[in-house]
Formats: sequence, structure tokens, C-alpha cells
Amino acid sequence: MDYSLLIPEVVLFVWALVLLLYNASAKTENPRAIGLFALIGLVAAFVILWFVPDGSLFGKTFISDTYARGFKMIFLLAAIVTVIGSVDFASKHMKHTGEFYSLIMLCVTGMMFLASAGELISLYVALELSTISLYILAAFLKKDLKSTEAGLKYLILGAASSGILLYGLSLLYGLTGSTVLDEIGYRLFLNEGTTIAAVFAIVMFVAGFGFKLAAAPFHMWAPDVYEGAPTPVTAFLSVASKAAGLVAFVRLFFNSLLAIKPEWVVIVEIVAILAMVVGNVVALLQKNIKRMLAYSSIAQVGYVLVALSAGIDLSVTSMMIFLLAYLFANIGAFIVVIAFSNATGSDNIEDYSGLWKRKPSLAIVMTIYMLSLVGIPLTGGFIAKYFLFGAAVKEGLYTLVVIAILTSVISLFYYMNVVRIMMFRPAPSADKIALPWMIKLGLAISVIMVLLIGIWPGPFYAWGQLASTIFHF
Amino acid sequence: MDYGYGLIGIFILFGIVFVIFTIFFAGLLRPQRPNKTKLENYECGEAPMGGAWIQYNVGFYIYALIFVIFDVEVVFLFPWAVAFKQLGLFALIEMLIFIAILIAGLAYAWKKGALTWES
Repeated sequence: MDYSLLIPEVVLFVWALVLLLYNASAKTENPRAIGLFALIGLVAAFVILWFVPDGSLFGKTFISDTYARGFKMIFLLAAIVTVIGSVDFASKHMKHTGEFYSLIMLCVTGMMFLASAGELISLYVALELSTISLYILAAFLKKDLKSTEAGLKYLILGAASSGILLYGLSLLYGLTGSTVLDEIGYRLFLNEGTTIAAVFAIVMFVAGFGFKLAAAPFHMWAPDVYEGAPTPVTAFLSVASKAAGLVAFVRLFFNSLLAIKPEWVVIVEIVAILAMVVGNVVALLQKNIKRMLAYSSIAQVGYVLVALSAGIDLSVTSMMIFLLAYLFANIGAFIVVIAFSNATGSDNIEDYSGLWKRKPSLAIVMTIYMLSLVGIPLTGGFIAKYFLFGAAVKEGLYTLVVIAILTSVISLFYYMNVVRIMMFRPAPSADKIALPWMIKLGLAISVIMVLLIGIWPGPFYAWGQLASTIFHF
Repeated sequence: MDYGYGLIGIFILFGIVFVIFTIFFAGLLRPQRPNKTKLENYECGEAPMGGAWIQYNVGFYIYALIFVIFDVEVVFLFPWAVAFKQLGLFALIEMLIFIAILIAGLAYAWKKGALTWES
């Protein structure tokens, strides 16, 4: 057994514990130093991850393959960019910053184990480690009513959805007599013709994972939680929790349930259509930028589900590229929200008017993120959508693609509305907005990555394709 | 698709019938001499007072959580202790790591004042 496969997770976990204990024993709190310490841990885990070979541990409970490592990179990058963008927010608004960062690191540890989970029980435990950390993070501003409300809503609905998911997992175990994903796939393949219990299990998986992904009709928690949670947490939640839902969803459906694909394709297609329509239409009405980005994230996951219902290797490839592009565009947009609310104390879209006059660079980077979320060429979002819809076209899912493109047109309106308000409305005050250097760094990394994926997609496509090779379509 | 679940069904049936049977016959056979103390709710020997639908101090939850952590720890320690000779050194180290993680949690809770009662 090659325990070196576990080193990135172990490093991250020990780092989080050390941070927690240091913070409990330290007399005075230095939020910036703690933030940098957490950042070093995350970057260290990211660097070590490059050297981790293929393999599996504990009888396929823990699998290290290209797919798992690709997703681990996404989780770590999301955490790194979030931490860079939140150091200023944390030192300004938060007590107990040590706990904040160590919870983020524990959450990423859970997600990394989730990416590697090759077995139902470890999959569930890893999922819980990540979501329980997220419940606490959502309620992190203890004195803020909205934040505690967000945490409580997320906890109650999350617990219910975990219960549904667990019930589905138990049905799958009952059907096949195994908790190992490969074994389940093999037995379902041999067992020609599916039972009604398999359909029940699939419905429960879609509901359980649909909640984690915030896909309609399981999205009702997302706007409230996104709005109430501290903005750095929202940034992390909007990307990492979606990626975590997708990593488990795809491994379960494309590895174990591929043999009964006709049973689940229709359900996934319906959820995809609902997510795109609900997300894009309701986003039009939002006044608060965090709520708008919440609905936009519901719509974005709909696009991924379009590709996943094709069920081919390009689905996985395009999902990886999408997640990377979405990661930088979405967290970047949230860093702008952090910077803006730090300066003005407002999250309303109306208050962004005249940002072009007050801080041109902030307005420009926000425009680039918005363009990427719409999917305009030269940004990562375009490449992502191109491959996502390409996967669906390849399998002849024209209805889905038409709906996806039509709803994308709707999305153009609310994303560009932000740009219009920033660029063409008069500024309410002439005060300039100052940006701390950490925020500048976070914004710069995100912009560079968004443009890099858009202009030079080759390496990212190769990376996504490598991840898709583990599935046998 | 027979995994021996029929046997479990028989056990369940037997369990239900047994409970009904014993409660029914015990009711028939035992002497009935009720008094006030006997009819009170049982609260581990304490005299009960007030209703149960009251707000509890949130401090209880922290104690309960810490208790659960060590409860679960024991659940893992027992099977390990039973199979200690077969498992050997590797399991010992694994168990020490497991306990160290729990101790880190306890140290954190202690340092944060979770073990001092605030009223």
C-alpha cells in the first residue's frame, strides 16, 4: 500500500489542526498572518498534488486517478483564490479568523477525499466533512442575523438532502450487495433489466446531489444562503460546493450507473432544463448582487447538466474546463463584491453605478468576469460553454441545446445590466475606492486565468481530457 | 435474491410478540398497589419538577457534543482492544493518531472555555 497518495490531504488536515490549536492558545490575533499561514498550507498541498501518482488504497476506498486529482486542483484553487480575496474582509469583519481559515481547509480536505472516494461510505463521510464545515462557515458572523439565518437554513435543508442521498445509497447497496463503485457498476451491468428500486435510488441521488449543486427544483436554499453568508464564504460555496457535488455525481453516475443510463438521462435532462430556466429568469429580478450571482450559479449548473446528460467522454472534459473557467470568473466577481462592500458597505446592484469613475480597474475586471459568465469569446466562459453544448450536440440532444442557448441570451441581460450600471450611470459620490494589495492579487489571478483559458484553451482541454479517460463509455 | 432476510423477519415478529406477551401477562400477575411516589415520572432518582418543554441552557449542547466525541472514541477503542494482538504495531500507531486528533479537539474546546460553566 502506497500511503504517499494521501500526503496532500494529510498536509492540509494537519495544517488546519495546527492553525486551530495555535489560534486557541495565542494571546493576540493577527488576522493577516493567520491568513498567510493558511494560504501557505493550501499552496503546499497544491504543489504536492502534482507529484502524487495513480493508485488506490484500502481496497479501492481511496482512488487517486487523473479525474480525482483534476478535481482536487479545482478545490484547492478555489480555496486559494478565496483566501487571497478574503484576508481583508476577515481582518475587518470577523472574529476568530483562525477558525475561519481552518474550517475552509477542513472543508477542502473533505472535498479532496470526496474526489478520491471509490466507495459509498467513504463518499458519504467525505461529503459530510465538507458540508458540515460549510454550514458553520455560512453562519460565521455570529452577531449578524442574516448570516445565522443562512447557516440555519443551510443546515436544515442540507441535513434533509443528506438523508435522502443516504437512503438512495442504501438502496443501491441493497440492490447490488456492494459499496465499492466499480463493483456496483459491474453488477448492474450483469443484471440486465433494472428494477423499480434502482429508479428510486436514482431519483434520490438526483435530489440529494441536486441540492448540493443548487440545481432547480432543489435550489430554494441557495439565494438566501448566498445572500446571508459572509461574502468570502459565498464565493467559496458557489464554486467549491458545486464542484464537490459534481465530482461525486459524475463518479457515481458515469462509473456505477452507466449500465442503466436510459433510466437516469431523462431525470437529469429535466433538472437541467428547470435549472437553466429558473436560474436565468429569476436572476433578472434581483436587486442584490449576491442574490443575482446565486441565481446565475443555478443557471450555470444547468448548462453542466446539459453536457452530463449526453453521457460521453466530452461531457467530463467540458465539465472540467467549465469548472475551471467558472471558478475564476465567479470567485473573481465575488472578490469585486467584497472590495466594493468593504469600501461602501453595500451589495445592491444599483449602488455600483458610476464605478467606472470611482475605480476604473475594478469596473474593467468586473466586466471581464461578467463577459466570461455570459460566455463571450476570448474569455474562459466561451470555451467552457462551447464544449458543454458541443457534448450535447454530439449526442443529438438538440432540444436541450436550443433551450440552453435561448436562456443564455436571457442571461446576457442581467450580466450586462451590471456592466451598464457600472459604466454609464453617474456616480453617487466622487469618492475613490482603494484596493488593498491582496484583493488586487486575487483579482489579477482571476482575470489572467479567465483570459488564458479563453485565448489558449489547448492545455486546459488536454487536462480535462486526461481526467475523462478513467471512465469507460 | 435470498440473503437470509427471512430469518430477520422471524426475529422481528418474535420480538414484537414477546414484548406484547410479557407486558400483558405481567399486568395480569403483579399486585396493583399504586401510590403517589410510584406514579411519578422516573428521573434517575431525582424528584421531578416542572414540564419538559422548557428552554435549555445552550451550554448543555457543548457538553453533549464533547461527550459524544468520547463516546464514539470508545466505540472504536473496544474492537481494537479485543483484536489488539492480531492487529499489531500498525493498528497501535493508527489508534494513537486517532486519539491525538480527538485530543486536539478536546484541547481546543478546553482552551476556548467550553468546559467552564457560564450561567
